[in-house]
Amino acid sequence: MKCAGSIDVRDIDESSINIDPIQVGGRLTAEAMKAIIAYGDGYSICDNCRKPFRLDYIKTPPVDVFFRDLAAFLHMDVARVVPGARRGFQAVADTYVQKNDPVLITALSHYTEVLAIESRGGIIREIPKTAENLITPDATATKIEEVTRETGKTPSLLFLDHVDYQYGNLHPVWDITRIAHQYDIPVLLNGAYTVGIMEVDGKEIGADFVVGSGHKSMAAPAPSGVLAATSERASEVFRTTSVKTDITSRTFGIKEVEMMGCTLMGVTLVGMMASFPRVQERVKHWEEELAHGKLVVEALKSIQGTDIRSEYPRKHTLTRVDTTNSFDEVAKTHKKRGYFLSSALKARGIAGTIPGATKVWKFNTYGMTKAQADHVATSFREIAEENGIPSR
Amino acid sequence: MSRPAIDAVFEAMFILTDLRVILRETAPGHVLSPAQQEETLTLLHTLETQVEILRRELLA
Repeated sequence: MKCAGSIDVRDIDESSINIDPIQVGGRLTAEAMKAIIAYGDGYSICDNCRKPFRLDYIKTPPVDVFFRDLAAFLHMDVARVVPGARRGFQAVADTYVQKNDPVLITALSHYTEVLAIESRGGIIREIPKTAENLITPDATATKIEEVTRETGKTPSLLFLDHVDYQYGNLHPVWDITRIAHQYDIPVLLNGAYTVGIMEVDGKEIGADFVVGSGHKSMAAPAPSGVLAATSERASEVFRTTSVKTDITSRTFGIKEVEMMGCTLMGVTLVGMMASFPRVQERVKHWEEELAHGKLVVEALKSIQGTDIRSEYPRKHTLTRVDTTNSFDEVAKTHKKRGYFLSSALKARGIAGTIPGATKVWKFNTYGMTKAQADHVATSFREIAEENGIPSR
Repeated sequence: MSRPAIDAVFEAMFILTDLRVILRETAPGHVLSPAQQEETLTLLHTLETQVEILRRELLA
């Protein structure tokens, strides 16, 4: 079936249980799907934009209220929507990183944090991870000292992933932030895998900035996200234009420089807004999500030769698993080679793994019902059994 | 302008969206619980009403 021309209908979530590590938290709510039907046209959010002509002043639909609610949701003072978390990283890096400034990331940081710093000419230094793939306050303090000695400057910024994309591990961000602040280093908390699926209290964590991803964890269309700041930092990162052009003497009101004026103008913003009440509610049910994830993790753990590479017990629904000594052994002799696993999962209505991957791979159980989690858990055990791998 | 036709188009698409979500929640088997069956029945009935409005407004 086609949507239009050569574009297939995308029905992966209607036909299957999707376990794609990056997709599940961004699936739309019914409310977002409905809002998008009505607001699909380009600048649809601008119907009632009046002076001073800025997104956060629009009252119909109530964008102004949404921005305030978004800040309160994160326990921060000011929030703006951005076209993806990466644009939040970029806005903060543009504000605080000068050429040759040292900037700290971690050994598990997302590549877009690196690019945001690189584009400013900053010197990137990584805080190493432990053998358990965690970032610790001690390693942070040591790295700050090292970098300061090396460059003669205190790092101008620390990018800290709340839960990392590689292992889905939950890092001790409160303690790390406290260390960074002892050196007067502002902290950007990357909540791409937490904001919108679990409760995030930016004030309690002590973050100067909290960045979230709409399309990754807030049931919103791509590209969307949030950049929230403390009031002190907001005046810097959300500074307004002060320029006057030379020939026409034009000025540009209260447009925010780092936001490039308005950010999200149609389906992305209205999708975020429409999903927001349900997002506020769903973060309270995180333990239920972990319980569903546990069913799948335990099933995989029970398959001989399978290791969970993420921290265990799991504190997040994104998990990295090593099946080199189980499913990959099967792949060596199976007629479908490495594709046997994704093929067997597909036959059971499970999608979202990388076809051919049988060594180390990731999955995410977020949003599954209990029945769906049971089905996925049973399926992994059945596939192992059918291929001669014993389960405990 | 036919306000009823405009409203019926959106309402129908919203109902179909609710049905889409039921498909998602019950994938891959699409075996509906009694509550989901009841909800589906109500949605289909309301959808039929919207289709009737469109027939009346646009084709009569």
